[in-house]
Amino acid sequence: MIAIGAGIAALACIGAGIGIGIATSKAAEAVARQPEAESKITKILLLGGALAEATAIYGFVIGILIILFMA
Amino acid sequence: MEELASELLKELNCDTAFSIKLPAGLPLIGGVQLDIAESVVITWVVMAVILILSIILTSNLKVHNVSRRQLVAETIVTKLEGIVTGMIGEEGKRYVPYLVSVLLYLGISNIIGLFGMKPPTKDLNVTAALALMSIVLVEAAGIRKKGVGGWIKSFTEPIAIVTPINILEVFIKPLSLCMRLFGNVLGAFVIMELLKLLVPVALPVPFSFYFDIFDGLIQAYVFVFLTSMYIKEAIE
Repeated sequence: MIAIGAGIAALACIGAGIGIGIATSKAAEAVARQPEAESKITKILLLGGALAEATAIYGFVIGILIILFMA
Repeated sequence: MEELASELLKELNCDTAFSIKLPAGLPLIGGVQLDIAESVVITWVVMAVILILSIILTSNLKVHNVSRRQLVAETIVTKLEGIVTGMIGEEGKRYVPYLVSVLLYLGISNIIGLFGMKPPTKDLNVTAALALMSIVLVEAAGIRKKGVGGWIKSFTEPIAIVTPINILEVFIKPLSLCMRLFGNVLGAFVIMELLKLLVPVALPVPFSFYFDIFDGLIQAYVFVFLTSMYIKEAIE
């Protein structure tokens, strides 16, 4: 049961994966359209990636908490 | 499962490197045992690396006829300052040296896992301290720019009804900074350790490139980027 719970917590990675994927595809499009704005786009992409990734980190933390405090 | 839990607990635990017993004669603090955590010792290593590199690179600087070593030092300093100035803008130039130091410290401490040491940012206390320093700097920058009255008034902007959210933000910002860095580094560290446990040969190498080098540097960049964005927001 604990393993299943931790596995479900890891599902949070789906959101982060989709979010970063969308952000990166849009960034690639934007650079293709306006190559001169690349540095700005990179910055915004990194910020968005970091924020989207936070959800995956929460999932990871919850997974660890489940394993540690239930086992 | 039990095995995995105990293994995880071992990785999560912050070991004590050594402890100092203060001499009993001192007033107030006599006989207190100070536990020096492993992350503190590794931070000393990082400090020593940065210090020695700085001394080697900056000794014997000249204006004319520069040596190759001086060129390297100048390139590093200009590049790093350029990166951070690009994030914070010309107005926040006075905060650039601090941010560059944080960037250097985080960059080195996140990739120190390559040399077989535990990254100090794996310890929640380290990232919490860094996040606290960041939020103090952000609020101090706001006070410095707007004065105490203006700083208090800035909580009611853009409209008065969002004041509770703005006050809450003062606590959420450092919390998210701290948890993001800690979670990323700890996650990478735990995954690497479990991977080394399962397949000790060859397989960890490509993963090490991603988790130890790329992820660590990105997280150092993100930490400094978010801090400078908050400062920029506070002083505009």
